[in-house]
Amino acid sequence: MSEALITTDDLSVHFPLRGNLFGPRPVVRAVEGVTVDIERGSFFGLVGESGSGKTTFGRALLRAAPITRGSATYSDSEVTYDLPSLEGAELKEYRKRAQLIFQDPYAALSPRMTVRDIIAEPLEVMGLTKTRAETDERVRAIAAKCRINLEHLRRFPHAFSGGQRQRISIARALVSEPHFIVADESVAALDVSIQADVLNLLKSIQQDMGLTFLFISHDLSVVAHVCDHVAVMYLGRLVETAPTRELFAGPRHPYTKALLSAIPSLDPDDQGNVVKLEGEIPSPIHPPPGCKFQTRCRFAIDICRKEEPKLGGLGFEHDVACHRWQELLDGPQASVADPA
Amino acid sequence: MTKPLISVKDLTVRFKTDEGLVTAVEGVTFDIAPGEVLGLVGESGSGKSVTAKALMLLNPDNAVYDPEGSITLNIGEEQIDVLSLAPKERMVIRGGAVSMIFQEPMASFAPAISIGEQMVEQLLIHSDMNKASAKELSIEMLARVGIPDPAQRFGQYAFEFSGGMRQRAMIAMALSTKPKLLIADEPTTALDVTIQAQVIDLMKNLVSEFHMAILFITHDLGVIAQTVDRVAVMYLGKLIEKGTVRQILRKPGHPYTQGLLHALPRLDDLDAPLTAIKGDIPSPLDRPTGCVFHTRCPVSLGAECQSRIPVYTNTEDGHQVACLLVEKEGAPA
Repeated sequence: MSEALITTDDLSVHFPLRGNLFGPRPVVRAVEGVTVDIERGSFFGLVGESGSGKTTFGRALLRAAPITRGSATYSDSEVTYDLPSLEGAELKEYRKRAQLIFQDPYAALSPRMTVRDIIAEPLEVMGLTKTRAETDERVRAIAAKCRINLEHLRRFPHAFSGGQRQRISIARALVSEPHFIVADESVAALDVSIQADVLNLLKSIQQDMGLTFLFISHDLSVVAHVCDHVAVMYLGRLVETAPTRELFAGPRHPYTKALLSAIPSLDPDDQGNVVKLEGEIPSPIHPPPGCKFQTRCRFAIDICRKEEPKLGGLGFEHDVACHRWQELLDGPQASVADPA
Repeated sequence: MTKPLISVKDLTVRFKTDEGLVTAVEGVTFDIAPGEVLGLVGESGSGKSVTAKALMLLNPDNAVYDPEGSITLNIGEEQIDVLSLAPKERMVIRGGAVSMIFQEPMASFAPAISIGEQMVEQLLIHSDMNKASAKELSIEMLARVGIPDPAQRFGQYAFEFSGGMRQRAMIAMALSTKPKLLIADEPTTALDVTIQAQVIDLMKNLVSEFHMAILFITHDLGVIAQTVDRVAVMYLGKLIEKGTVRQILRKPGHPYTQGLLHALPRLDDLDAPLTAIKGDIPSPLDRPTGCVFHTRCPVSLGAECQSRIPVYTNTEDGHQVACLLVEKEGAPA
């Protein structure tokens, strides 16, 4: 059961920028040294603020962003692929097994194609079906699963609301019967009353079809509700990863704590002990030395400014990358030198 | 009772389109007292932004305001009938007594004019300051909203600011004319949570300091809980429930408000199932008859809800709900 579908080791994605004529070209370190296992059949959440590299990481796993360094392996019960070296026919085969659901359902669907054609396109491109009748059958089956009214298959996307469009996007991603789905902010553009419906649909499909999801989101409360396991990214690095309940009950990294406490409470009388973060996320072109979070961390000491902490285990699959997590846990926080 | 700062009565806004007259806002009535923060909640297409823009007459030219509706602004002894203002008189509601913060600060600053110049320009228009004192005040305001090195920032352009900084600059600019009413249209939606927390904090401090009223528009009920005094909930152009923030969040009366709260993933109870409101928001071209929510309502009374438009029922002091079920059976326990 606990076999990994995706395994990455020290995965990095760098984008070179246009530099001046002399000197080295500046590089955006979008993802830096991410080591993670995504288990088969899990709903794996990846959270972080804008600029944390979560989207780039998802794209790297789909081979839609170049992998600069490190390894990434995909392994289902039939095949094993080494992702950085995939090419040609094997890459095409991988695309059948790994699919993406986009954020904006208004931009993701061609306005000139009927819903039926949109969902059928992957089948035709990948040559998965031989006859039109077979294609139609697959389209109808997946549409029913995604609760799309079969009469709507002949219509064009402009006639549909955000929630309906997102269900069409989901059907298109699922029609090639993939094993691995990257859902990048798939409910961020939806209204609350619709969002719950799409989340429930994703969850039930994942369980029915035994899929593995990488669910990328900036919304911690959404992640808390659907994911089994959560990883938190900051400036291209993984700072903490744990099973969902474990993470939300006992966040260890100061950044995770701040992120959790920044979510506004629904209780007007609960003003909360919000851990206020000063400043903003630094630029990935000139990341600070040492721990990437030290510029905003109120517990930062000398070692944090010099040495980058490694992701280490607390046990119970809970890993954190912080020099001082144990200290902050043991001692009362008041005893910690609190810089003004 | 003090006089409300602004009274909106029976505001109805329609848009002339190729498909005919589309109703965006229908019969909306609310007051905002001086120094009060009113939250306007609703999903996309509920008409909350159209309502806000009506207060500044910023809706596009194809907007039609029904003559029965009125918007009255009380400033000192003066009463201003907003909807009948001639184009030349509109300055007072556009940056003078009423100011606005937008959702996307990148789109709201002119890209080729420095932030400072834009701040000075509006001060020259709305006050009798000279250039030097306007610049001085602008730099002071930038410092007040927590922008480091304000004198240098004053000469920079919008693209040189980060998202959080831009929103701070936007707030500084909106507040520098000392408006009586600030309209904040989803001011934190485009920001990350840690930055959102900073901006909310800043706004709270400034409200108490400047003692101005705010119309706070958002779809995020968590932000509402932390910032506003009273809440008005909109659905498909109708104001369906209003009350204090505690009344609305703890004892929501309208099935739509209840549904919204159930659909929200909550961090304090990870086991609670997410319950979606069934169906989709109807198209404004095809507004339901009777109660606008009856097509999605889990407790609809059937024929009656389809034909009769609900009026407000007072369930508690100041808590009003437009629902036939509440009218019949009283507030839900």
